[in-house]
Amino acid sequence: MPRRSDRPLQVGGRGRGRVDHARAVSVNRVGTAIALGLVLGASTVRAAEPKAADAKPVGAKSNAKPDNAKPDKKKGSKEKAAADEGSKKSLPAARLDAARGALAGEDDAAAIAAAESLGGSGAGNAAEPLAELLAAGAAPARTEASLDALAKLGAAGALTAPRAFEVLDLYSGHHAPEIRQRAVKALGTIKDPRVVPTLLARLGDAAPGVRATAGEALAARRERSATPRLFALVKRGDAGAASPLAALATADLIPQIAELAGTVDDGVVAATLGDYAQRGDVPDRLRLDVVRTIAKLAGAEATTALVEYIASVPAKDDRPSKREAQKLLDERETAK
Amino acid sequence: MRPACWRGTLIAAAAAVAALLSGCATSPYRRAGNAGEVASALARSQAPASPSRSLVFLVLGGAAGPRIAAYDLAASRLLWTQPGEVTTRIAVGGDVIIHGAPPATGRGGLIVARDIGNGAVLWQRPLAADERLAGYDIDANAVYVVAQTMGAGKHGSNGSVVALDPRTQAVRWRHELPTGRVAGPAVRGGLLAVPVDSQYVILLDAATGGELAQVLSTAEAATFVRALPEGMFYGSRGVFLLSPATARGSRQSSGYLLAQLPAFVRPFYWYDLYRPEQAQYSAIDRNHILWRVAVEGERARFRDDTVVVHDYRFLFGFDATSGALRWAYSHPEDAVASTDTGSVIAFVSADGDIAAVDRVTGARRYQARLPGEMVRAATFDAEGFSPKLAGAEGGAGPAPNTVATLGAIVADPDRRFPDLKLFAIEEIARQPGREATSKLLDILGERGLTPLAIQKASEALAARKDTQSGDLLAAALRIHADYAEGRSAPPVDFLARAVAALGPSGRTAAPELIGQLRQPEITTAAAAQIAHALVATGAEDAIPALRDFLTMYRADPANDADPSALIAVAEALIKLGGAADRRLLLFVAEEPHTVAPLRAHLVKALGETDPGAVKTATRD
Repeated sequence: MPRRSDRPLQVGGRGRGRVDHARAVSVNRVGTAIALGLVLGASTVRAAEPKAADAKPVGAKSNAKPDNAKPDKKKGSKEKAAADEGSKKSLPAARLDAARGALAGEDDAAAIAAAESLGGSGAGNAAEPLAELLAAGAAPARTEASLDALAKLGAAGALTAPRAFEVLDLYSGHHAPEIRQRAVKALGTIKDPRVVPTLLARLGDAAPGVRATAGEALAARRERSATPRLFALVKRGDAGAASPLAALATADLIPQIAELAGTVDDGVVAATLGDYAQRGDVPDRLRLDVVRTIAKLAGAEATTALVEYIASVPAKDDRPSKREAQKLLDERETAK
Repeated sequence: MRPACWRGTLIAAAAAVAALLSGCATSPYRRAGNAGEVASALARSQAPASPSRSLVFLVLGGAAGPRIAAYDLAASRLLWTQPGEVTTRIAVGGDVIIHGAPPATGRGGLIVARDIGNGAVLWQRPLAADERLAGYDIDANAVYVVAQTMGAGKHGSNGSVVALDPRTQAVRWRHELPTGRVAGPAVRGGLLAVPVDSQYVILLDAATGGELAQVLSTAEAATFVRALPEGMFYGSRGVFLLSPATARGSRQSSGYLLAQLPAFVRPFYWYDLYRPEQAQYSAIDRNHILWRVAVEGERARFRDDTVVVHDYRFLFGFDATSGALRWAYSHPEDAVASTDTGSVIAFVSADGDIAAVDRVTGARRYQARLPGEMVRAATFDAEGFSPKLAGAEGGAGPAPNTVATLGAIVADPDRRFPDLKLFAIEEIARQPGREATSKLLDILGERGLTPLAIQKASEALAARKDTQSGDLLAAALRIHADYAEGRSAPPVDFLARAVAALGPSGRTAAPELIGQLRQPEITTAAAAQIAHALVATGAEDAIPALRDFLTMYRADPANDADPSALIAVAEALIKLGGAADRRLLLFVAEEPHTVAPLRAHLVKALGETDPGAVKTATRD
């Protein structure tokens, strides 16, 4: 069932206009909102409701490139504080009901605006109406807006709705790659370890964007069990796996990655090694080898990897690997 | 009227004309169909002596140039190799072999005789410029050459048979045939048979060339004659045992044989000896029927009720009466020649394998090899060859695994055999047991199969209703597509159909069906089949997954054009679900964002099952 979305994945983008103007009819005079309640009361999502404690949000950090082994304590505590604040913040019932009405109403633009508003609120209870909409099913534009909003709530540490995991898990298996990618992105913000198998499974997704998003989420979680699958992806030349693998790879994997040169796109190998070299927890003597390996690779990606590595090192830091990278870069320039 | 019927009518008409002509004093065929004369001719014929050797003569190519070689099967050793090109097929008799060869210069050709002991050329006989070789045969006493002389006779050509001394080519006798439309001969026990004018076989005394009798084939053309130890045979579409009862070639005769064979088999019993190109080694030597006959008086039946089909790399043993497959054998390379020795099917492969399998069981009974040789063709002189495989119990290896062999045929990337692959799928389906079910599942996972082959395998899998193999279906459904591991999705729609065919016995596969329903790559057709299968198996535990599917996609416009999956899932919920599911369906039917075809279907379906529930909807 191929489908197309013209809605950008970034949170906050505006979706399509009105999709249709079908009349809202009532079932035996039961209003849509009540019907939604009936649906949700019967759905598996409700039945498989997780414990609220399990659905803790992940912090805002989603960068796959941990620039040092020891996280910034100040930054971490700030994020934790924001997350705690987000989970404590809640919207009044009247605003939630209004949002529910807009989400289920006829007007697509209003529904999308409501979803964005909920996503931007950072409130702990803002995810409920979004999860309800997804559980009941919606047209693609509303679905995408809701998933984006959930991801935004997750990033703000406010994705505490009990059924958020089940709904996102379900949508991570949607036919449309753009919907899967949004669901995976939102899932990645949930701290609950139940999301890991789904994220690992999505590393095998047919869509590169979905794989890359899953890889980034796993790297952000420091999920070492993802390393073999990420390596398998790099072995297949999947550029989206380069950065996550670099973030998770242990030193003993580096020679295996280097050996892929010539068998897959050298650019992918260069990107992986380049990102690995930028990690703060890598000994400089190992970086030196990595930099030399990158320099042996042909192509613009290898040059970029060297340039980015040099740029990532503070100006006053004169480590040997930086000097070597500069020397090798100069040689490449001269060779041109 | 079908072409076959037309042919039959034409043959009958021609036979009637021929019968009229036979009554005419000027007709050369006045003796045609005379059972008494055929009986007398056969009485003069003697059964051939018991064979004393088992040889195969090989036509070799490759870097060493064109050569002819003799290989002793019993001793498993090469006897001799001689340079030389071969055009028409090698024939063996007494201590001489003959074959056709290209002329040194100009057009035409040569008949070459060689000493069987060392391959040395005994003589070469060029064909005259106006001569066309129809064929030859040889026994211990003579070489019999049938030729057509162009530009002579009433109809523009004449035919004749010449008997030559096998070692000196001295002419023993010459017999002028009544027509120029002549075919290659066959000799057996002093009786020489020559097909002429499509419908006749003239029987000559091999010692003198005197005409003994004429056969009139009224039911079908007589395009071949073939001499076997058990008798002389003629025919075209089928096989007639030459006897007084078949002097007029009736298919109703007990001496007429026609095997029941599947559609992929080319019904080729012997070479069309009227066609010069079939006198040469060709694809026909790699694709034909191998048969021997049990003769009781004038009655004939295929020996052991078995015929063997040689189809390039494959050999199949069939029950000649029912057409049932008895065994199947697959060889890595094309077999360029094969023969039925009466005990084994012996064959030679293009890359130098010389092998034999039991004609009844297909078990390997002989194996030898000519390393580094490229074999272009071969002729066997191995009547009665009955080897025992060294070191094997009972002198034969294990009978070939029919299912495995058929599976290998289907999986073979060789695209020359589409019909054979379909046959193999059908035969696997006929085999009982889990192994066959497993093989069909493997086939459905193959890449590069034609849509027809996939359809056959799918239908076969569903038709088996193999209740003992539900776990195999479940295992196949457990596989999901995975880009990282380079794995494709299994053919879910076909597997789901097979599960559905099991009914409640297929319930064990329900978790895997549910797992597939949640996969992003599931197709509309597969999702619909899964829903059908869940209903057929009564899998109530699938209700949550069905609800999720329905709600997630109900408003997706991608389903507008083809709502079959949504409708099938909704139907499954109606059948498997309870009151809560009915409420859900009611909501889906009424919610304005639900795709129109699903709404329309649900309004109707819910109305039929509980008209009161959709009163409002229908009013709308």
